Amino acid sequence: MLKSDGSAGFSPMTVSTNTLTPPSATGSADPSSSQDWLPALETRRRGLPRWLRLLLVRGLIGAVGLAAWQMLSNSAIGSVWISSPSLIATRLWQLHADGSLYVHTGVTVLQAFTGLTIGFVVGIAIGIVLGTLPRVAEAIDPFFMGLYSLPRIALAPLFIIWFGFGFLSKIVMVFSLVVVVFILNTMNGLREVDRDLIALMRTMCATRFFIFRKVQLQSLVPWVFAALRISIGLALIGSVLGELLGANRGLGWYIEQSGSRLDTTGVFAGLFVLMIAAVVINELVKLLELLALGAGRAPKSE
Amino acid sequence: MTLNAISQSSHVSESAAKLIVRNVTMAYGGDRLGTVVALSDVDLQLLDGEFLSIVGPSGCGKSTLLRLISGLERPVRGSIELDGKLVEAPTPGVGFMFQRDVLLPWATVAQNIDIGHELAGVPRSERAARVDALTSLLGLDGFEKHYPAALSGGMRQRVSLGRLLAYAPKLYLMDEPFGALDAQTKLIMGQELLRIWHTARKSMVFVTHDIEEAVALSDRVVVMTGRPGRICLDVNVDLPRPRDTWGVRRTARFRELCDLIWQQLMGQGGEPQPHHA
Repeated sequence: MLKSDGSAGFSPMTVSTNTLTPPSATGSADPSSSQDWLPALETRRRGLPRWLRLLLVRGLIGAVGLAAWQMLSNSAIGSVWISSPSLIATRLWQLHADGSLYVHTGVTVLQAFTGLTIGFVVGIAIGIVLGTLPRVAEAIDPFFMGLYSLPRIALAPLFIIWFGFGFLSKIVMVFSLVVVVFILNTMNGLREVDRDLIALMRTMCATRFFIFRKVQLQSLVPWVFAALRISIGLALIGSVLGELLGANRGLGWYIEQSGSRLDTTGVFAGLFVLMIAAVVINELVKLLELLALGAGRAPKSE
Repeated sequence: MTLNAISQSSHVSESAAKLIVRNVTMAYGGDRLGTVVALSDVDLQLLDGEFLSIVGPSGCGKSTLLRLISGLERPVRGSIELDGKLVEAPTPGVGFMFQRDVLLPWATVAQNIDIGHELAGVPRSERAARVDALTSLLGLDGFEKHYPAALSGGMRQRVSLGRLLAYAPKLYLMDEPFGALDAQTKLIMGQELLRIWHTARKSMVFVTHDIEEAVALSDRVVVMTGRPGRICLDVNVDLPRPRDTWGVRRTARFRELCDLIWQQLMGQGGEPQPHHA
């Protein structure tokens, strides 16, 4: 039972309490692996695959909705008020044909993206500074919360006075909306870092920089992605808002122009493109998040 | 990292004091909510290569004592010397293991273990081979690329032990490292720890509330009482080495030692002692 080298006659592998087995070592060790229940399991999975069923149901909902819209605009309400899917499709085709669809979308998305990028960098930097200097953060907290609570949309006139009707005022608008989200999430992320993990690193004489790099920065990643997901919507809002108040191109400008001419088809066409842009960008971020977080880490939902 | 190269001697050859805890008092608070005295006038010595366990009820200051020894915190009075030097901050050569596994959730098993190598300054070229040796030693073969979330509690604690071994400290501070494990895993991990201790011959301070575990593993068991924490008994465990932590539990001497410690813990109320200046 006791070997001369002091080890007992059992090893952690043979007397393992774990139900997990290494993937390479599974083999045919399982004695109850006759698997006569496999057919029974398969009958449970009969019928259409889940994803296909879901796709069909969704397509049906969309088709019914569009058909109802088309019917209402041809009869009860009238296309002056709610346009109609066919009119909108025609308009989108025209916009595509003369290329203005891409000009307007490009401008709006570029403004949102530029503001978002600057907000991302600046917000995380400020968040890290405030997160590592809690006394400074405490001191400026009321001022910060004041700015945060201010509906920043009301700043738009100022931005137009300062930065004109062009690209810059839109970027500043977007920046002012998203930067706070990044600051707050970064500070939260730093506050939520596992203290035991830092204590353990300290016992191993890790430098502050090592702990920052290996622990704190890594714990921030899900928080930054949460901020990014929130900010995309805000960035598009900021960009469109800037255009509504004064611009000469962009989706917001197109919607505003169409509205002022009572052109509901134009308004709906603009809204449709905005929606598509937002969905596509959101999906891209989700993909990026999946790649960055990989296994072992759950996304922070907020 | 071979297990065969083992010193057969079960006695401490060098009787130099590795660690001296002198008259240490630790308190928290000091504000409106009052003061909590976690440790009061604790004196303790640890020989080089000695396996010392500290037992006592929850809240008796066992963990505080380990945090002070590790240099994470400093006592309000008294001093702690390691190899003759005053401990004022975390010291190289001291490894700490918590009851929680505290692994990096975004790093794989191999990467988590490798953190110990990195902080110990092991050359990059040697690290991969050493990680391999450690994963085999701890029965983690095939799990190198797994993330902690995919492992059971016992395996995570093994990874945690692997990181500690990779750091290769000369003094191990173990804060109830197996406290959250099931009885069987706990026993196996204890046996593994003893085997590793035998190989490496490092000094060990092992905190637990499990008296049998303490007696089965240690050269010496110190019993602490709570509020404020102080040492009330210091027992030499004269069971033979090398030791089978399971078999030894059936010996008469083992039972005697456990009873002695039990009585001390149960009879605490009866001996009020003056304390606190």
